[in-house]
Amino acid sequence: MTPLNDDEKAELVAYLDGELDEAATQVMETRLATDPAARAEMDTLKQTWGMLDYLPKTSPSSNFTNRTMDKLTLENSVPTPAAKTQPMPSRSRPWIVAAVWAAVMIVAVSGGFLAVSHLAPVPTHADPHHDSDLPLVRHLRIVEKWRWYESIDDLDFAKKLAHPEMFGDDPS
Amino acid sequence: MALTGETSTQLALRDPDIRLMLRVRDDDATAFADLVELYQHRLVTVMHHLVGNAEEGEDLAQEVFLRVYRTRKKYHPKAKFSTWLFTIANNLAMNILRDRQRKFTVPLDVRDSGPLGPRPAEQLVHDKAGQPHQRLQHQELAGVVKVALETLNERQRIAVVLNKFEDMNYADIADVMGMSTKAVKSLLSRARENLRQALKGYIQMEGQAAADSKDE
Repeated sequence: MTPLNDDEKAELVAYLDGELDEAATQVMETRLATDPAARAEMDTLKQTWGMLDYLPKTSPSSNFTNRTMDKLTLENSVPTPAAKTQPMPSRSRPWIVAAVWAAVMIVAVSGGFLAVSHLAPVPTHADPHHDSDLPLVRHLRIVEKWRWYESIDDLDFAKKLAHPEMFGDDPS
Repeated sequence: MALTGETSTQLALRDPDIRLMLRVRDDDATAFADLVELYQHRLVTVMHHLVGNAEEGEDLAQEVFLRVYRTRKKYHPKAKFSTWLFTIANNLAMNILRDRQRKFTVPLDVRDSGPLGPRPAEQLVHDKAGQPHQRLQHQELAGVVKVALETLNERQRIAVVLNKFEDMNYADIADVMGMSTKAVKSLLSRARENLRQALKGYIQMEGQAAADSKDE
């Protein structure tokens, strides 16, 4: 009556699972009939296996099939992420972002130059008491930012410019 | 078990589930709904016991069905349909369990468990040292068995769950897990031995609980 080695234990488990062929089953049954240690081993293995019955019984929720079908429908109707995203500047094409920024800057600077030239005519010195820069001084804050105001259509657009995250990666 | 020597047509004639899956392959949405209906209970049960959580088990079962649909065009009947289905389930579960094991590789000392006391797994280790409480109720026993199952490695756990809850034989488990039948035999033997060690202190209690429930 020696304790079962690993191979014998595997054989015993296979016997309990009904996986042995006829000859091997016969050998195992003879051993169990004559070896109390093997019988005790079998009993504890059976009890251990039986304890798995204590695990809670599971049932899928009543709408499982409907939820699965809904998910499938959604999955098949939603375009791929690449197709559904807006054509925002891509991380893989930073030169586009840089080009757009450069164009905006050129337009803004040119517009600003023209606006300042128009609002501030060259002094004639005909009337030494007349200060031709007075309107510029009075509206200095507007004049300073005029090149920006020139290049936009409305206030909403100007507010949107305050959200740089809309323009993707920093071109720098 | 792989059914060698049979054509797809022969298999389909014998196994109604294969016929159903072939309709799914041909984009029959009704057939897919029927397939979900037919296998949901078995799949949810298996996934629940693999991950130890009913809600997560249901989500994973749903993901298995979606994978079945996504890969339907690649389906060629070579074995029982359930073997193919549980192979997909095995692959998903294996990934989940391995990820989980990677995230929780540092064992905590019982004293480190915080103000709520030891976790169930720690409690089991603690209780193994001494005699478990005599009045352990059915629900508590279920918790102990759940924790014991979680002490198995992912391969052992999958083999045990398929064997116990799907009543799958060694050859089918071998097909699902991509192993030899001999390896499955050895795997299940080690798994049962590990379970026995984990539940050693509770086996007598289980006998008493079973007797009590018969008396009621």
